Amino acid sequence: MTSISSRRLRKELSEIQTEGCPTGITLLNADNFETWYFSIEILGESLYQGEVFKLMFRFDSSYPISAPAVQFVVNQESTAPVHPHVYSNGHICASILGTEWSPVLSVSAVCVTLQSMLASCKSKERPVDNDRYVRYAPDNPKKTRFHYDDDTV
Amino acid sequence: MKVHIKHWSAVAQWRWNIGNTNHDQDDEGDVCGICRVPFEGCCPSCKMPGDDCPLIWGECSHVFHMHCLLKWLGTAASKQQCPMDRRAWGAWL
Repeated sequence: MTSISSRRLRKELSEIQTEGCPTGITLLNADNFETWYFSIEILGESLYQGEVFKLMFRFDSSYPISAPAVQFVVNQESTAPVHPHVYSNGHICASILGTEWSPVLSVSAVCVTLQSMLASCKSKERPVDNDRYVRYAPDNPKKTRFHYDDDTV
Repeated sequence: MKVHIKHWSAVAQWRWNIGNTNHDQDDEGDVCGICRVPFEGCCPSCKMPGDDCPLIWGECSHVFHMHCLLKWLGTAASKQQCPMDRRAWGAWL
C-alpha cells in the first residue's frame, strides 16, 4: 500500500538525489520510507569543527502531517554533539520537532535547522537534566514532552 | 470547394485560479506545500484531480489541497494554524 508518507518521501528523496543535500549534509541511507540516515557537519567557524555526526529520521505513515522522530545516532562509531539541547542518548530538544512542527517542513529543512542550532552554540555543555532524562528516556524521542524554554542557544 | 468536417476533437486545459498568472507553458505549476503534488494534481488520498479534490484558500492567502489541510487541522498539533505562517487558520470563501 502506498501511504501518504511514502509518496511525499519519494519526492523528497528524488529532490535530494537530483539537487543534492544542503552543504555539510550527506545522505547515508534511505533504503526504505521508514528510517533515513544522514551525516551532518558544521562548516565554517564553530565549536564542532572537524566533528561529524549521524542523524536518524524515523517516519510514521502520516508524515508530513506528523513530525518525523529525529535524533543523533549514538553507538560505537558515532556520538551525539555536546550541546545544551542534545542529550547524550542522541535525543534533541528542538521545538520544530515537537510543538512547532509544520507539514510544510521537510527532511532538508530539519537538517539545516539542526545545523544552525549547532553552529550558533556558545558553550559545549549537556542539558542540565541530562542524566535524569537519559535514565528514563523512551526509545522514541517523540514520546517525550520537552519544554522549550531557551531560544538563545 | 466544399469542405465537410467529419470529425473534430476539442482540447482544453484547466488550472486552479490561485492568483499566479505568470505561468510558463511547460511549468509544472505550483505545488501543495503539504503533499508537494501540483495543485492541478490531487492529494495523496484521491485519484481524480479537479472538483473532487479542490483547493482551499486561507485568509492569510496560503493555498493547499483541501484534503491535505483538513488532515493537518484535524491534529491537535496543528493548533488550528496555517502550516506556512502559523497564523490562526481561517478559510477564505
